Amino acid sequence: MDILTKLMNYYSQNAAYVWAEIYRHFLMSAYGVLFAAIIGIPIGILIAKYSRLSPWVMSLVNVIQTIPALAMLAVLMLVMGLGTNTLVLSLFLYSLLPIVKNTYTGITEVDRTLLEAGHAMGMTRMQVLKMVELPLSLSVIMAGLRTALVIAIGIATIGTFIGAGGLGDIIVRGTNISNGTAIILAGAIPTALMAVLADFLMGWLERALSPANHKHLR
Amino acid sequence: MKTLMKPLLLCMMTVLMLSGCALPGLSGSSENTVKIGTVTTSETQTIGYIQKYMIEHYTDLNAEVITNLGSSVVMNKANINGDIDISAVRYTGTDISGALGLDLIKDPKEALEIVQREFKKQFNQKWYDSYGFANTYAVAVRGEEAKSKNLNKISDLKPYAPKYKFGVDNSWINREGVGYEPFTKTFGFKFDSVFPMQIGLVYTALANKKMDAVLAYSTDARLKLYNLKLLDDDKHFFPPYDASPVIGYDLLKKHPELDKVLQKLVGKIDSDTVLDLNYQADVESKEPSTIAKEFVEKHNYFENE
Repeated sequence: MDILTKLMNYYSQNAAYVWAEIYRHFLMSAYGVLFAAIIGIPIGILIAKYSRLSPWVMSLVNVIQTIPALAMLAVLMLVMGLGTNTLVLSLFLYSLLPIVKNTYTGITEVDRTLLEAGHAMGMTRMQVLKMVELPLSLSVIMAGLRTALVIAIGIATIGTFIGAGGLGDIIVRGTNISNGTAIILAGAIPTALMAVLADFLMGWLERALSPANHKHLR
Repeated sequence: MKTLMKPLLLCMMTVLMLSGCALPGLSGSSENTVKIGTVTTSETQTIGYIQKYMIEHYTDLNAEVITNLGSSVVMNKANINGDIDISAVRYTGTDISGALGLDLIKDPKEALEIVQREFKKQFNQKWYDSYGFANTYAVAVRGEEAKSKNLNKISDLKPYAPKYKFGVDNSWINREGVGYEPFTKTFGFKFDSVFPMQIGLVYTALANKKMDAVLAYSTDARLKLYNLKLLDDDKHFFPPYDASPVIGYDLLKKHPELDKVLQKLVGKIDSDTVLDLNYQADVESKEPSTIAKEFVEKHNYFENE
């Protein structure tokens, strides 16, 4: 009860600051995922087409995923210095695995008979990709983006250690002062809510884009 | 529709890629933004924000506070690399042994002279005169225990130390010249066990009797909150840690107005003031930015000085 009142007190005292950090936190996560989507989706399509590349690319993105977040930030910091860009780059790297993997899976899972039907109709490879493969795999790709965004929101909290700001700032301040539980919660609750909300919205988008629902959309 | 989407997407992509240096919404253009670095302590953060508001009040520049840098060594590197432009608070003792790698100086005046001279020579940075407070390391014990065992100075701990658990700052334990090893040599006793932890945790650990003695910062408001007693440093083991801001001369040349702003704060924050600021941050759980705003407004941005 005491913590709850303290928490409310904190929010009312520092509302502007908390909103600014929430906005910043979300933006950093979204940028990381956006860049990963720009790079990752074409890579996923590419390795689905040239399957000999896939083990190499897959093991590479897998290896990236195994690097502990703090170590990754420390290494990147040596090269890029402090600040948000370093965090966005590491979020980009962490987002690659779910996005590349889901794109690859989505494209390869498309029913071969449909591809053949497309070819038989005289479609070029680009047309098959655009009109058959991508629409059918869209929901799987969206699932990858969803995973990536949720992971990114979580990892972005440690960006505070390289001066990137975000909700991690609030959490770390809570650990630095005595009786900081309320402040830790003040940072942790928005982070958790943001992850849940992002998961929910992306999940809704994913269902909306799934081939089964296509008719409703049009 | 489809023909329009493709060039649009391509445009968006390239714009985003090109703006890699400053992602929209995350930071202003670096030309007019002064970056102020602070470590994790509330006092450096509060003073960092005070500088931010002062700079934004007196100049056309924007200021951004980068908090939670790992240590003063990290802050020094960041300042040299240009990741930050101003170090909000630096302590003489820390940088004499850390950044400069010199032997410890016990005299506060001499220490200040050395950092001012050496930082100009080695890093081309200006080290200002002190804000008016020092944040030294000090050994603290529980108030009632100090009374019952008659503990007043560090040497008084000698008979009790073999049974004491000693909680210390992560960055202190291995620090050359003032770390735990030299400590044991100077005072001639060792504690039962030493627990390195984040500095914010030592006060609660001591108050909750998880620790029996801790190495605390002398300006921390929680000493008062928990009724902890600072022991006198009877062997003058801990060097002076007077607090000052540090800025690069290159930036001062480009924006000479910054010098006036920083100079305004010299001697304006004494130990009572900093204790009060720390109390608001650490005990009343206010955000440093809020405290700083109230502070500069209360003093009218030091307009009359």
